[in-house]
Parts: sequence; structure tokens; C-alpha cells
Amino acid sequence: MELLEYIELVFTDYTLRTITLGTAILGAVTGMLGSFAVLRKQSLLGDAISHAALPGIAIAFLITGAKDTNTLLLGALVSGLIGTFWIRGIIKKTHLKSDTALGLILSLFFGFGMLLLTFIQKQPNANQAGLDKYLFGQAATLVESDVWLMTMVTGLCVIVLLLFWKEFKILLFDADYTKTLGFNTKTIDILITSFIVLAIVLGLQTVGVVLMSAMLLAPAAAARQWTNSLAKMVFLAAIFGAFSGVFGTAVSASQNNLSTGPVIVLVAAVFVIISFVFSPSRGLLFKQIRFIKNRRDLELNKTLAFMHQIAETHEDISHPHTIKILNNFQGYTKGTLQKLVDKGFVTLEGNMWSMTKKGYSTAANLYNQQTNDDE
Amino acid sequence: MNSAQIEIQLIASLVAIACAIPGTFLVLRKMAMISDAISHSILPGIVIGFFITHDLNSPLLIVLAALSGILTVVLVEYIQKTGLVKEDTAIGLVFPALFSVGVIMIAKNANDVHLDVDAVLLGELAFAPFDRLIINGMDVGPKSLWIIGVILLITLILLFAFFKELKVSTFDKGLATSLGFSPAIIHYGLMSVSSVTTVGAFDAVGAILVVALMIAPAAAAYLLTTDLKKMLMLSVCFGVFSAILGYWVAHWLDASIAGSITTTLGLLFLMVYLFAPSKGIIAVMYREKQQRAEVSLITFLLHLQNHNEVEERHVNHLREHINWQKVRATKVLELAKKNNMIHIENDVVSLTNKGETFTSKAIDYIITNKDAQIEDMKDDFFLFRG
Repeated sequence: MELLEYIELVFTDYTLRTITLGTAILGAVTGMLGSFAVLRKQSLLGDAISHAALPGIAIAFLITGAKDTNTLLLGALVSGLIGTFWIRGIIKKTHLKSDTALGLILSLFFGFGMLLLTFIQKQPNANQAGLDKYLFGQAATLVESDVWLMTMVTGLCVIVLLLFWKEFKILLFDADYTKTLGFNTKTIDILITSFIVLAIVLGLQTVGVVLMSAMLLAPAAAARQWTNSLAKMVFLAAIFGAFSGVFGTAVSASQNNLSTGPVIVLVAAVFVIISFVFSPSRGLLFKQIRFIKNRRDLELNKTLAFMHQIAETHEDISHPHTIKILNNFQGYTKGTLQKLVDKGFVTLEGNMWSMTKKGYSTAANLYNQQTNDDE
Repeated sequence: MNSAQIEIQLIASLVAIACAIPGTFLVLRKMAMISDAISHSILPGIVIGFFITHDLNSPLLIVLAALSGILTVVLVEYIQKTGLVKEDTAIGLVFPALFSVGVIMIAKNANDVHLDVDAVLLGELAFAPFDRLIINGMDVGPKSLWIIGVILLITLILLFAFFKELKVSTFDKGLATSLGFSPAIIHYGLMSVSSVTTVGAFDAVGAILVVALMIAPAAAAYLLTTDLKKMLMLSVCFGVFSAILGYWVAHWLDASIAGSITTTLGLLFLMVYLFAPSKGIIAVMYREKQQRAEVSLITFLLHLQNHNEVEERHVNHLREHINWQKVRATKVLELAKKNNMIHIENDVVSLTNKGETFTSKAIDYIITNKDAQIEDMKDDFFLFRG
């Protein structure tokens, strides 16, 4: 399929348009809220919540007997919240650590959900087929009303974020200070956690229980590499999330047998890898380049210091020496010598070098003053 | 009970034991979530292994899957070391990505592969007895039983051989290193055992139940004891108990065995969480209430000691002076009276000799010691606790 053709199809084809819009909005809202989860060191909370939502879906189905998306998601929301608060209870009241609490709730709720799902499958109710789409998600089942629901929740999220921006921000970076300022930290905490749960529940239909946590984390982790400002990070994460949704949908639509959820997650993972490597201030590539540059500077200085040592032994500092005597010195290469010449620290004549006045004074003061002209 | 049922329960129990042992150490080392990550990210290994061998029980598949489990651990540690994100984020990034790769590989080859993501995640214990291991034409039992049996045997041998090393490195990394145990070897050894166990068990009980069987019994045991050996024993017992009870619940409900075992584990943990003698939620809340009352009591006694004026020690005045509500003030007053710390004359409270001694000692202790643990002193002086 041609790219232009595909773009045209996005605007004309109902299913494709709905899915693209849905995944884009989902990516944006999870990216936004995921930033808070990542910064609060609650990255795995998303994983636990999404698994914990499963029994809620099954129970909602058992009670209503209908497969109405909104009711099921409401069930998921309730059971996700119960899971979240149980995790907090375990961490606060016992000496079990957060990782144990997360793993416990995750596996126990999920197992219970599976018990209910298999139990439902045995029931004589023709309606039950398709509940297991919540395991891995099926973006293809998105309809316009789902997208509207997502849009509404996203709108609500944005409004609440803007309203309580200051509170969220200060709680994120200095919880004790927030308390002393008189904010009710518990309420703010519950508010932000509830919104994270809400975003996760929204995504269950599209990417499923298992992969939901990546939707929450990946855009935020990628955005974190590019900025140190919370506002920029939230904004960037939303954009990364939205693009992961759009690209993921495009890739999975262009091939047969590709489920949307995993592709979106992989696209998000690509964003993360790119950010890890190419981010200018934190990225691995530039860090390595800076590292090499620093090492070169050091070696240049070492060569200069060595020359200075030799020059010191002569009355005339610009007394010529052969290049050969530099050979058994580690920091010396033809390149560094040329660099020193370019800087005017040494002059070359045939295979002899001699130090200039400038070079001599620079070398003498190499380690007792800050020279600003790097390489 | 027919032989298939016995075999299923036997497999489930062996899986429970094999999981409980590494699980205990994972919980103690605060690495419980890594088991969740491993259980998801073995999927690509399983899929590749399956493409090569076309047999879910072949040793090559188990090795490949275990390798992809270890790859997860290595990747997580690499990302963490770059310092770009925290450890939990690293875990959360790696395993969904690997899992997605596995899902996509299955989906792309769905036509010629008989492998189902559901089966990997959930397993089907009910079918385990039908896949028999046949040696020289002799039926020696279900394959899964042999696989998990061998894994359990290896785990047990490693446990007994390296118990001391594991124990020291779990509780005091610095000491372990200075004694010459390489923390890296122990760490990766534990990770390898966890990976292999996860892989060996997934076929029988599914990846999620493995996580539950690793963490839940250990967590419940940790609430009951602080002795490593007892904790290991308890978690093994909890695991086996839930495995067998869970099987019968599933039998009765006609539902997934793995789901039912997990649910049993969940209920078991809930019970322990609520009712554990000293660390259960009810015990903790009771103790917190007790301590609140006792702290109030000490504050109250200090107030009495500091003031000789009659108006400061009047019963009604106390309430507004220390700013307590009526109920609390009455309770503290009663507690003090029951313990013979105070006597009340014409509504004026004064300290008894015993109260005087206790207050002086308590304040001395609190001033000179950093951890204001005056539990021993309370035992000496208190007839009734708060």
C-alpha cells in the first residue's frame, strides 16, 4: 500500500479512521499520565493495575450478562482501584516491599480474573464470546462511541492537570515540603493515581491487559530524555504516545495478521531507543562523544606537558628536538602534534619540533589554571 | 480419584515447590517484579524454540526460553546502568517489548504454528497427563512431571549446596562480597533458576500462575516469620496446599486450574495479611491504636509532672490545655488510673509515686536514646496496656 493511498484511506475509511483516532488519543492520554507514574517511581503500578482490572471485567459481565463496553470498563475501573489501594495498604501497613505488593496483586487478581473468564466460558450464554479480547486487546473493535469516551476522559484529564498543575508538580518533587505547606497530599495522591487507573482501563480494549503498562511507560521514558522540565515532558510524552498509536495502527493495518497492540508497543519502544541514544544532553551517543572528546583534550595536554618537560632542560625554550623522542610517549600521535601546531604552541621544521613562547607558558600553567580553549 | 487427577495434583505440587524456593529469595531481595518480567519475556524464546523443534516440551525450547529470560535481566540491568531511567521503569520497558515480539511472531506464523498466546500465559494443567514420556516403549509418566521434577531436583541441590552463600548475600551484600562470594554469580544463578523454573512450569500452569506461585507463598510466609529456613518451609507448604485445594476448586467449578490455584493463593494471602499474629493488618492496627494511647498517656504524665498549680491539673482543664477531645481525654485518664500512675482528688489530678518514677525514667530514656523504644519499660510499669 502506498503511503499517500494509506493517508487518504485514514480520512475516508470509517474503521481505519476510528482506530487511528482512538489509538492516537489513547497514546496521548497515557503518555501524559505516564509521565507522573515514571517520575513517581511507580512505573510498574501500571502493569499491576492493568492486570488487576481483569476480574472487574469478568464480574461486570457476570452481573449484567451483557457485553456493553462501558459497563465492562466500569467494572475494570472498580477492580483496578481496589487493586491499587490494596497495594498501598500492603506497602504501608506491612514490611512487604513495593515490588512484592505489586507482583502479588498483579498475579492474584489476574489469576482470579482468569478463573472467572474460564468459568464464564462454560456458562450457557452465547453472549460471552470475545471477552478474552481484553487480554491482548483488539483495536479493530473500537467504534466511534469508544473514541468519544476516550476524548472525554482525555479532556477531563487535561482540565484536572491544568487545575492542579502546581499541586501535582510540587508533590512529585518534594512530598514533605508539600505537606508542610498545608496541601492535603493524600487527596492529590489519590487524584493522580485514580487518573492513572482510568487511563489504563481505557486502554484495555485497544492494547489489552498485558501490554498496557508499556503504553504508560514508554512515551514518558522517551520524553524524559529530552527535557528536564515537567511541562515539556508531559507535552512530549503525549506527542510520542499519539505518534506511537498512529504509526502502530498504520504498520499493523498494512500487513495481515498483525495485532495492533503489540505493534504500538514496539513503535513506542523504538521511540525509547532513539531517545536513549540520540538525546543531546542525556543520550548515550552524545555522552560517548563527550567522553571521547574529553579524553582527547587530556591527551593533548599530556603531550604538551611532556614537551614542556623536555624544553625546560634547555636554556632556549625553542630549541628544536626530533619528533622521534615523542614516540615512546603514549599521548603522542601525528594528529595531536598537528593540533598543537595549529594552536601555535609548537612549530615544526622537517622532523624537528620546537616549542613557542606561547606553548611554553600554556604548558607551564596547564594544571594550575583553567584554560577555556578546549580542543 | 483417578490416576490422571493424582498426576495433575502431583505436577501442581511440584511446580509449587519449585517456584516457592526461588520466590522466597526474590521477595527477600526486593526483586519480585523481575519474575513477572521473566514470565512475559520468555515468550519470544518459546516461539523461536517452537519453530525449531515443533515440540513444546523439548529441552532446546526450554534452554532458549530460559536464555530469553536471562536476556531480560541483562537488558534491564544495562538500561538501569546507563542511568537514563530507574530500575522499575527499565523492567517495565523491556518485558512488554519482548512480549510484543513474541506475540507478533506467533501472529505472523499463525497458520503453520500450533501455539497459542493464551496457552503460554495460562497453561492447561488438565491436559498435562496426556502428554506421556515414553522410554523404550515404556510409559514412565507425563512429560511435564519429569521436566518439573528435574528442575525441582536441580533447584534443591543448588539450594542445599549454596544455602549459606544465598543467605549471606541476601541479607548483607557487603559482607558477602568481603567474604569472597561473587554477588554477580549468585545474582545470575538465582535469575537462571527463576528463568528455568518459569519456563519449565509455563507449559503446565502458565506464566502468570508461575508469578503467583513465586511471590504469594513467600509473601505470606514473610508475614509470619523472620527465620529464612522457616520462611522457606512455610512458603513450600502454602504453595502445595493452594495447589491441591485449588485443583479441587477448579474441579468443582469446572474452570481453569491455574486460575483457581491463583485464587486460592490470593485468599490464603488475604487471610495471612489480615490475621498474621504480629504483622497482620489487624495486629498492626491494634498496635498502632495501643501506641497512640500510650504516647498520649506519657504526654499527659509529663504535663502533670511539670505543673504543680492546681488549675493546671484540673480534670476539665486538661482537655482544653492539651487540646484533646473528650473521649480521648477520658480514655487516657482511665488508663493512667488503672495503672496506678495518678490519683484524683476533688477533680484535681496528681501523680502517684509510681507515676512519678515512670515519667522520670521514660523522659530520661527518650532523651538519651535515639529509637524511643520504651516497650521494656512499659512492660515493667503497665498493668493494663492502651
